[in-house]
Amino acid sequence: MRTRRFSALAAALLTVVLAAGCSGSGSGSPENATGTAPAQSGPVKLTYWTWVPNMDKIVQKWNAANPDIQVTVSKQAGGDDAAAKFLTAAKAGNPPDLIQAEYQHLPSFVAAEAVADIAAQANQVRSEFSEGLWNLVTLGTDGVYGIPQDSGPMMLFYRADLFDKYGIEVPKTWDEYAEAARTVRKKDPKVYLGTFSSKDPGSFAGLAQQAGAQWWSISGDAWKVTVNDAATLKVAGYWGDLVREGVIDDMPYFTPEWNKALNDGTLLTWPSAVWAPGVLEANAPKAKGKWAVAPLPQWTAGENVSGFWGGSSTAVAAASPHKEQAVRFATWLNTDPEALELLVKEGAIYPAATKGQSVLTEAPGYFAQQKDFWQLANQVAATARGFTFGPNVNVTYDAFKNAFDKAVEAKSSFADAVNAMQEATVADMKKSGFQLAQ
Amino acid sequence: MTGTKRSGARVARAGAAPYLFLAPAVVLFVLFMALPIGYTIYLSLRRTQVSGLGLGRGSRREVFAGLDNYAAAIGDAELWLGWLRVLGYGALVLTVMLGLALIFALMLDTAHVRLARFSRIAIFLPYAVPGVAATLLWGFLYLPSLSPFQGLLELFDGEANLLGAGTVVYSMANVAVWGGVGFNMLVLYTTLRAVPREYYEAARIDGATELQIALRVKIPLLTPAIILTTVFSLIATVQVFTEPTALRPLTNTIGSTWSPLMKVYRDAFVAGDLYSAAATAIVIAGIALVLSFGFLRIVKNRAFGEG
Amino acid sequence: MSTGVLPARAAARHARPRLHPLRGAVPTAVLLLGAVYCLFPVTWVLIAATKTPGELFSTATLAIGSGLWSNIADLLAYRDGVFLLWLGNTVLYAGVGATLSAAVSALAGYALAKYRFPGRNLVFNLLIGGILVPAVVLAIPQYLLLSKAGLADTYWSVLLPQILSPYGIYLARIYAAAAVPDALVEAARIDGAGHGQIFFRVALPLMTPGLVTVFLFQFTAIWNNFLLPFIMLGDDRAFPLTVGLYTLLAAGANQPSLYNLILTGAMLSIIPLVALFLTMQRYWRTDLSRGAVKS
Repeated sequence: MRTRRFSALAAALLTVVLAAGCSGSGSGSPENATGTAPAQSGPVKLTYWTWVPNMDKIVQKWNAANPDIQVTVSKQAGGDDAAAKFLTAAKAGNPPDLIQAEYQHLPSFVAAEAVADIAAQANQVRSEFSEGLWNLVTLGTDGVYGIPQDSGPMMLFYRADLFDKYGIEVPKTWDEYAEAARTVRKKDPKVYLGTFSSKDPGSFAGLAQQAGAQWWSISGDAWKVTVNDAATLKVAGYWGDLVREGVIDDMPYFTPEWNKALNDGTLLTWPSAVWAPGVLEANAPKAKGKWAVAPLPQWTAGENVSGFWGGSSTAVAAASPHKEQAVRFATWLNTDPEALELLVKEGAIYPAATKGQSVLTEAPGYFAQQKDFWQLANQVAATARGFTFGPNVNVTYDAFKNAFDKAVEAKSSFADAVNAMQEATVADMKKSGFQLAQ
Repeated sequence: MTGTKRSGARVARAGAAPYLFLAPAVVLFVLFMALPIGYTIYLSLRRTQVSGLGLGRGSRREVFAGLDNYAAAIGDAELWLGWLRVLGYGALVLTVMLGLALIFALMLDTAHVRLARFSRIAIFLPYAVPGVAATLLWGFLYLPSLSPFQGLLELFDGEANLLGAGTVVYSMANVAVWGGVGFNMLVLYTTLRAVPREYYEAARIDGATELQIALRVKIPLLTPAIILTTVFSLIATVQVFTEPTALRPLTNTIGSTWSPLMKVYRDAFVAGDLYSAAATAIVIAGIALVLSFGFLRIVKNRAFGEG
Repeated sequence: MSTGVLPARAAARHARPRLHPLRGAVPTAVLLLGAVYCLFPVTWVLIAATKTPGELFSTATLAIGSGLWSNIADLLAYRDGVFLLWLGNTVLYAGVGATLSAAVSALAGYALAKYRFPGRNLVFNLLIGGILVPAVVLAIPQYLLLSKAGLADTYWSVLLPQILSPYGIYLARIYAAAAVPDALVEAARIDGAGHGQIFFRVALPLMTPGLVTVFLFQFTAIWNNFLLPFIMLGDDRAFPLTVGLYTLLAAGANQPSLYNLILTGAMLSIIPLVALFLTMQRYWRTDLSRGAVKS
């Protein structure tokens, strides 16, 4: 008797487990796929994963004005972690409605069918953004996969006081930058003009963009991968030579050690993006007022180009049952003058929307002495060129870190490291079955 | 084990009772271990197939892959290099950590030790610090420009760098030793405390010194406990992940596939290839199983004296 | 290991001859060195938590800073006090999870130690085999399966997978074998007590000290777990401390890491565990192999 009862219990349990295991397969139900909200009473509730500081405050404004569309912010760890987590959530069928998507991650989101094509609604605000930024959310296709939020045109940040001390002019070309690097080492062997970070593929991609690199492009129905194009090899060779010569340090950015170098004046420049003031202020508060900004050094004297480091868009999850409302919020957030002002003031971002740039009048506190900070930034932004990101940027970036770590450690060829990135990228795409053009 | 021998007589009357007592654990095991493991095996037999640009709807399908993922995992040179690195690291951690734990436990158990309570708690304290925090903490202490040891190190070697290519494995091992020595010490110490004192008195009367007692009486008594802590530590070492992952941002010497489990993480979260990751994970669990059972088999007869 | 040795042991202690006062100096010194090694990095966190962001990277590593209170105030004010919410969540996850874990382990350990039944060894080996599977490996399929059950991103998703502890069951089995005499169980049975009554009235009280140990280990494990809640939770109001503090560290590519808040948060999050270590000292016992020692 007893054993019988036990096996009945076991069978019942198994049924429950199996039912639980199967019930999820219906999560992509038809009404979800079409994006129309199921009939329901009460306001539409949207969840939004982001890591912009003070986004709660910005969203409060929207929630107050839109009682029928209530957005809840969930602040996440930023960068690659957020992307990985979003992809996992999307695969499992319960992603948030809205997600902060860095431009380089957007293609992998699209490839995984995790974000929705919002072209019908989003094309209405196309004119608010520059052509280059808009291409980053269309990936050069007819679809639109996000609303641009911020961008990171690159500039050269430098210690004005120490440039004076060592008698260095602000370099206009990369040749001058290399010369200045040698001069600094001669004057004080403890000090470096700059450092090459093997941990920040985004920075390297931006520098390669400035030189005219195109890592991915679409030709017909196939991807063309040219991570090791001539422009990228030129940039890699330049930094590799300086690191081997010992005139440029090889300490990664954003480490405690780098923070210390920013503080004690042993690092004089940082080729970074427009968001740098916030980072400098938090990590080197004592150097306030001592840093200044100039356009990036150029490859050819007289030229005037830059690249992008960072920047993100607001994307809508493909599985969201409230896509229309989500796009309305994303559009408001990134194009409404009031929202843009909040994004700039509270979120400390450099807005992607062209009219948002007019909000930026007063230089960041850390750069108080540089009255023309935003004018300069806006000029640079207009000259920055990006490139199309491919569907497996994560693999390329991971290969960058591994290959450049080794190259820096062994003082070996940076060109080989770039070739390793190309190989890893192509091998991964081949493995998945992407069509590749020769 | 002890205490169960005479219970045999109760089999007939036990009925469903033991099963009912075990039911919560078994249900949880099925739901949160067996099912996920089964699902992992299922995933390991599949892969994604992309067509064209992979951007349009339906251009990505999940297909059956047979044993391809396993073939790739076993044929991956990087994975085997990872095993080699973990082997060196593991040998270091296991010997130093268990050696120190044994020394501390024996010292705590000596007759005239002072401040034993304080030392015991202090040595156990790192157990309260999460692995990630411990690694970041030590990371700060390793960085040449911040390290309080740097001046001392430079007396010996001007180029000293605790995160350099030749030293990073020791630095990493130190974090694991620091976090684990207290726990293992406690295991061995409690075992020692459970040993009746007259075991030692006989030796003392024969004129043995404390050192001789430790070597000839206590260590043989501790052997089963040492074997168990070794197995637990061995399994933890095969799965090493936290220390290299958390130290990686601070140094150029640790790649994203430094240990096999890091490769699993890289494949699953960075490259978005759950399927390869699943196959590699199964291989890792298999190797952990073989290693720990192999080790137990080698030492079993000697230590437990039973079949 | 019968109780008969106790008087003998006490007698032996008294009989121990008084020796040279320096005797014991070597073990004491070795242990103190070990203590210094283990305490040093913890001391460093305490010191680092007192530094303002400016001081953190510009003053000597072991110099005490001037910002402890402002750091704590900043941390408590961060996003309307979300730190306290994370602390509360962590207490909930660790407290409830470890309690249930101790209960499940007690039932299973008792059954495995005190009954002989078909499948006993199989069940034991399967349950213990769980430690062979790395947490990183389990977390993703657990997440995918819990999502299908509609439980992902809820408190349940963090609580439920952490109840089963192979280690806890292992310990509970040893404790039950050692602490619950068969004779007592037999006597209760003769008095007509049922299986449940015997467990709750006889075995459980005897096993309690061991179960406190199981509780403490699982409490620490859940308190410090990062990967599972990181994968399971999207809602930042359900985060435990580890995941919450991580959002400060990985603040995004173009945002600075809030090192002073992280260090202060790390320090504050260790304090409850340290307190637990100090107050529950006598329960931190792990005679893992007691059952294996031949007596």
